Amino acid sequence: MGAIGLKHYLVVGAVMFVCGVVCMATKRNGIGVLMGVELVLNGANINFVAFSQYTALQLDGQVMALFVIVLAAAEAAIALAIALNFYNNHLTIDVDRGDELQG
Amino acid sequence: MENSVEHPGDILKTLLTIAWLLPLAGFAIEVFGGYWGGRRSKAAAYLAVLCIATGFVCSTAALLVWGNATDWVALEQSEHHDAHGSAHSGPQGPGAHEANGHERHAGTVFSGTFYTLARFGSLVVSLDYYIDSLTLVMFMMVTLVATCIHIFAIGYMSEELTDDYVDHQVHPSRGGHLHRPGRFYLFFSYMSLFCFSMLGLVLAGNIFMVFVFWELVGICSYLLIGFYIERKSACTAANKAFIMNRVGDFGFLIGMMVLWTWFGTFHFGPHEVDGATKPGLFQMARGNDGQLDVDHDAHVVYLRDGEGNRLADAKTGQPRTIPYMLLVVAGLGVFAGCVGKSAQFPLQTWLPDAMEGPTPVSALVHSATMVAAGVYLAGRFYPMFAPDVLLVIAYVGCITLFLAATIAIVATDIKRVLAYSTISQLGYMMLAIGVAGWAAGLFHLITHAIFKSLMFLASGSVIAGCHHEQEMPRMGGLRKKMPITAYTMLVGVIAISGLAIPISLYGFTPAFSGYHSKDAIVATALAFTNLNSAHFLLFWVPLVTAGITAFYMFRLWFYTFAGQPRDAELYKHVHESPWVMTGPLVVLALFAAFIVPTGENSTLFKLLTHSEPAGVAAGVAASGTANIALPGHEAIHAVHSEAGTYALMVALAGAIVAYLLYGARLLDPADIKRQFAGLHHFLVEKWQFDNLYDAAFVRPVRVVAAWCAAIDRIVFDGFLHGICRVGIDVSRWDRKFDENVVDGLVNLVGDVTFSVGRSLRAVQTGRLRQYIMFIALGVMVLFLLLFMFFPR
Amino acid sequence: MLLLSLIIFLPAAGAFFVAWFPPNSDEAQRQFSLAITIGTFVLTLFLFADFNKHDPGIQPVYVVAQAEGNAPATYTRLQSYSINADGKVVADGNVVENASRGAAFEWISNWNIYYRLGYDGISFPLVLLTSFICLLAMLASWSVTKQVKGYLILFLLLETGMLGVFLALDFFLFYVFWEIMLLPMYFLIGIWGGPRKEYAAIKFFLYTLAGGVLMLIAMLMFYFASNSNFNLMELADLAKRGGFDQTMQITAFILLFIGFAIKIPTFPFHTWLPDAHVEAPTPISMILAGVLLKMGGYGILRVAFPLCPYGAQVAAYALVVIGAVSIIYGAFAAMAQTDFKRLVAYSSVSHMGYVLVGIAIWKINEATGAVEGKDYWVMGMNGAMFQMLAHGVSSAGMFFMVGVIYDRVHHRDLNRFGGLAGLMPLYSGLAVGIFFAGLGLPGLCGFIGEVFVVISSYNYSPLLAIIAASGVILTAGYILWTLQRVYLGAEYKGPHPEAITPMNGREITVGSVLLIAAIALGVYPAMAFDIMHGSMDLLATSLDEGYRAALSGLMSASN
Repeated sequence: MGAIGLKHYLVVGAVMFVCGVVCMATKRNGIGVLMGVELVLNGANINFVAFSQYTALQLDGQVMALFVIVLAAAEAAIALAIALNFYNNHLTIDVDRGDELQG
Repeated sequence: MENSVEHPGDILKTLLTIAWLLPLAGFAIEVFGGYWGGRRSKAAAYLAVLCIATGFVCSTAALLVWGNATDWVALEQSEHHDAHGSAHSGPQGPGAHEANGHERHAGTVFSGTFYTLARFGSLVVSLDYYIDSLTLVMFMMVTLVATCIHIFAIGYMSEELTDDYVDHQVHPSRGGHLHRPGRFYLFFSYMSLFCFSMLGLVLAGNIFMVFVFWELVGICSYLLIGFYIERKSACTAANKAFIMNRVGDFGFLIGMMVLWTWFGTFHFGPHEVDGATKPGLFQMARGNDGQLDVDHDAHVVYLRDGEGNRLADAKTGQPRTIPYMLLVVAGLGVFAGCVGKSAQFPLQTWLPDAMEGPTPVSALVHSATMVAAGVYLAGRFYPMFAPDVLLVIAYVGCITLFLAATIAIVATDIKRVLAYSTISQLGYMMLAIGVAGWAAGLFHLITHAIFKSLMFLASGSVIAGCHHEQEMPRMGGLRKKMPITAYTMLVGVIAISGLAIPISLYGFTPAFSGYHSKDAIVATALAFTNLNSAHFLLFWVPLVTAGITAFYMFRLWFYTFAGQPRDAELYKHVHESPWVMTGPLVVLALFAAFIVPTGENSTLFKLLTHSEPAGVAAGVAASGTANIALPGHEAIHAVHSEAGTYALMVALAGAIVAYLLYGARLLDPADIKRQFAGLHHFLVEKWQFDNLYDAAFVRPVRVVAAWCAAIDRIVFDGFLHGICRVGIDVSRWDRKFDENVVDGLVNLVGDVTFSVGRSLRAVQTGRLRQYIMFIALGVMVLFLLLFMFFPR
Repeated sequence: MLLLSLIIFLPAAGAFFVAWFPPNSDEAQRQFSLAITIGTFVLTLFLFADFNKHDPGIQPVYVVAQAEGNAPATYTRLQSYSINADGKVVADGNVVENASRGAAFEWISNWNIYYRLGYDGISFPLVLLTSFICLLAMLASWSVTKQVKGYLILFLLLETGMLGVFLALDFFLFYVFWEIMLLPMYFLIGIWGGPRKEYAAIKFFLYTLAGGVLMLIAMLMFYFASNSNFNLMELADLAKRGGFDQTMQITAFILLFIGFAIKIPTFPFHTWLPDAHVEAPTPISMILAGVLLKMGGYGILRVAFPLCPYGAQVAAYALVVIGAVSIIYGAFAAMAQTDFKRLVAYSSVSHMGYVLVGIAIWKINEATGAVEGKDYWVMGMNGAMFQMLAHGVSSAGMFFMVGVIYDRVHHRDLNRFGGLAGLMPLYSGLAVGIFFAGLGLPGLCGFIGEVFVVISSYNYSPLLAIIAASGVILTAGYILWTLQRVYLGAEYKGPHPEAITPMNGREITVGSVLLIAAIALGVYPAMAFDIMHGSMDLLATSLDEGYRAALSGLMSASN
């Protein structure tokens, strides 16, 4: 086990991803959930970048990463807006309280 | 005879056609005029008499024309029965005279066509005439007898000249007697229609036309028997008469089919087709010599052409033949028609019932003319009868004459006695034809027509005088009150019994007509039996029956006219009939007595003999499958006086017995009746024929008819209804299948989907974190599955 | 062409106009319809002027002139011509090679369907009979008082259908008219009928429809076997040259025969007839017996026999047996009836049996296949045709006579009549005359047909001829027994004796015209045979050729 290779990046990406998922699954605070989402997205970004470095994906991986960043920003904006509205209506941002969409 | 301006055939045709069609015109006028005219007018009767009397004049004129045209050859052949052989039936027809000049008596037949009904290739169906001396004699007889009877009927039917006729024999349910308008005109129109049909039958030149008029006289007979339509017995008798005749006609049709198929023509004599002269049936079967050309090995008969040579088929050139058995079938078929019409055994039962008609009808239709048409046809068609057929004819006649005579002994209704006597006498005629006594049979036909119509009219006079009483046991002693009727009747009785004075005046026996004709028949039968000893019954039965005939006829006369009245009340009101009725009686009595004063040398017999088919006169040696020899004129002549003596003795015996029983009343008939009660009952029941036929035919036919109707209702309709029911059932099942299976499946899918959705609803908690858990777990499961199933 | 189309469609046009009559004008509608039927009858009489008796083939005849290029050929009507020994048309002394028979317009060109009309000695007498009986039936229609307008419209449509069947020469057109006829009849029985009218109408409809379907199948068989042709003349010509193989001919013949046998009707397809007759109103019974039944016989002569000569010959014996059984069976069944109309209906079954016997007595030489005794066969076919005409007159008359008394006393129970001869003498006289025509009395129409058929059939089969001939006894039995129960006797035994009134003028007209027709046909049958004989002879010749052609096809195939 000499130089740092693709696997290492993938491990980091996977750890981040899992942390994000756990964060999403456990946090009752809506902002916490959004943070988990950011972790998941960035875990994926690490994978993209790593693949662009080590495989034939090349610049495409980087471009995808940039897209994901942009997407994450947009998503965060909208999610925060939803959270704000949710707060206005429920005076809380506890996601467990937002179960009106149940079947 | 060819140099006259008009062809004698044309004159003959015109005269006889007038005589034939006038009654038809009379019928049309009478039936419509009577319907729209009054019920009390005698105009219809006068018109009918005028028509038929004109017919008689025309017939007489025709006979004279015929005689002139043939130079009276028919009368030359006196005294030599043996000499003329087969001379006078050569190829005939208007154009054929000169060609056969070598024949002495050639060209005495005039035939031709009225118009064609249909033509299919070589097959021609047309209405033709065939005029020979037989036709002319028949025309004269029919028109003469019919004229007398028409005049008689003016008196007899005068009760119908009213708007309110009371029929005492019909009792309507509301009581009393039936009242109805009189039908005087209708009676005479039917009579005219009958005369037309009968003359057409005699004039016919082919067997098809004979059949046409055969049926027409049948329907006239139906209408006249059922003249009193209100009486059930009359209607039933009319139906019976027509249907039994149809049974005979069924045989007639079969005969016609065979002839049509094998001979290809219906014509009696030669006829023109497309300018060529074709031979008629008689020539094709018998040639010119009157002999059948039989091939005994192949059992076929060769057909002959106009020259008497074998006829070759137009296509193959082979000689044309007909199987011998089919010729027999054809002959028996046509004879079956004669059996029906002439009321011969086994179809004899309709004639006594036919006495339900008015008495003039019985006189004209059911004794003198229509029933004699069967004998006429048997005579006319004689050349087509194979020897075996002739034997059948002889036996049928023999059975009939005996059977009917025995029943006549016990009958008490005056008309029924005469009816049975008619059947019996017709049997004699058939017998004569069967034993080759051609001329004797037809001779008896003519004389019988006259004396039997005389007796029927006399009985009609009695019935009218006794106010419609027909039972002889209530009569008696009537001769004092109605002498003309009684003594004219006596003439008829003597004539039919065949009594004669057994002396010889200038070689002739003085006797009434019946003696001569019956004598001729008995002589022929004796000659026949001499040649064919196995068939001895054909002589002995008619001989014995001649005695029975004399017995029952004298019984009738004594019963009715002699002795003391049995019913005083009836006797008190009896009166002699007016002249319009007794006049015809006298005329007919004169004819019955003196029409053939010299027996077989008289004009009438010679005229008839002249028309005799070729080959009869010479006799025929043993032939046919039955191996029958037929006597010629010579053989008959040889036994003539012997047979005459026998017949006279037997007849005298019969007459004497009748006198003892009923005239002098020395013996009591009631005793004899008691002695033979079983036999008497058997005879009164007419040998059980009616009951037999009822059980054997009428009821089975009704049963079969009911079956047929039931089969239709049950089997065919049942089948159809079954199919329909199956169709309905199938559609019902189809509906159930649709409702349960197909719809059920669709509903099941829906239900399942719905319930799955409902159960999955629980998963949709709305909780974000749970969803994320599901996603994560799902992904993990997916990965796990991926690795499990697609390991690296 | 114009005349033929006019004959067919004049009644339909009349029906159209009747529809516009104001309500409550029943009398005017009836008179108008009567005028239409009279007009149709007169038009059919005009056919006499056009008809060339010496030409046995289909008429009218046209001369075809082929035009230049693609322009359609021109047809010129040939007015006076004769036929030479080879059967070719001769005009002005020259043989016309490009003669065309029958008039035709293209109808549905994709499927080669033409509106093709024509008539010959077979159809011409039947066309006359149709318009004649329709006229008399219309005169008898005054007794119908319910929904007169609808009745008249359907009646006239029915007449169009019937005339169309007899004049159509295109198989498809024939089929169309055949089915057109069916519906008015269904409604006429089903609406204006007696107590069991629904049952009778449906029975009639099902039976006839089944027959129609079988015919449709056969029609398509010929269509595909003949390279898309519906022309009956060309199909017959093809059959004559052996164009259809034996299996196909037999199959098609059975299909066609069952279709037509239902219509005749023969045993065992006859049970619709008594019910239909009993329930139908009097004029419809007249048409049903007088005309509709003839379509079966006509179909056999025009379609089944010419198109499948081989099949016909193979089935000939069976046909004669069926005919003979019909005669006897119908007569027996008639004898057992107590309903007057049912009895007459069964007598129709019996009488139409002669038609089948007469047509089918085609005797061949077993060795060569050539017809034997062709004259007898031609006589049988002529007799059959004549029997159709005679039955048309006599049975229509019988039904009319039943209708006259039914209109008065409203029952038909034979055992509750009697004595009518005294109460209605003129009616009874006419009725007895008509019934005698049915009985086959010489001098009246029934005799010639029956006797000609029976006599000619001996050549084919003695046994069957004798069976057929025995019908004369049974016929006499049931008809005389009926006459006795209805007309003779002392008194009337049924209900409504007060309603028995003499016939009115209209009834007298119908009855006496029918009786006069019966007498005319019976006394001078040559007037019918003159028209029919040539065509029948031609038909027999081509059937003979067709059979032998099909037979030799088998021989060459097996070699």
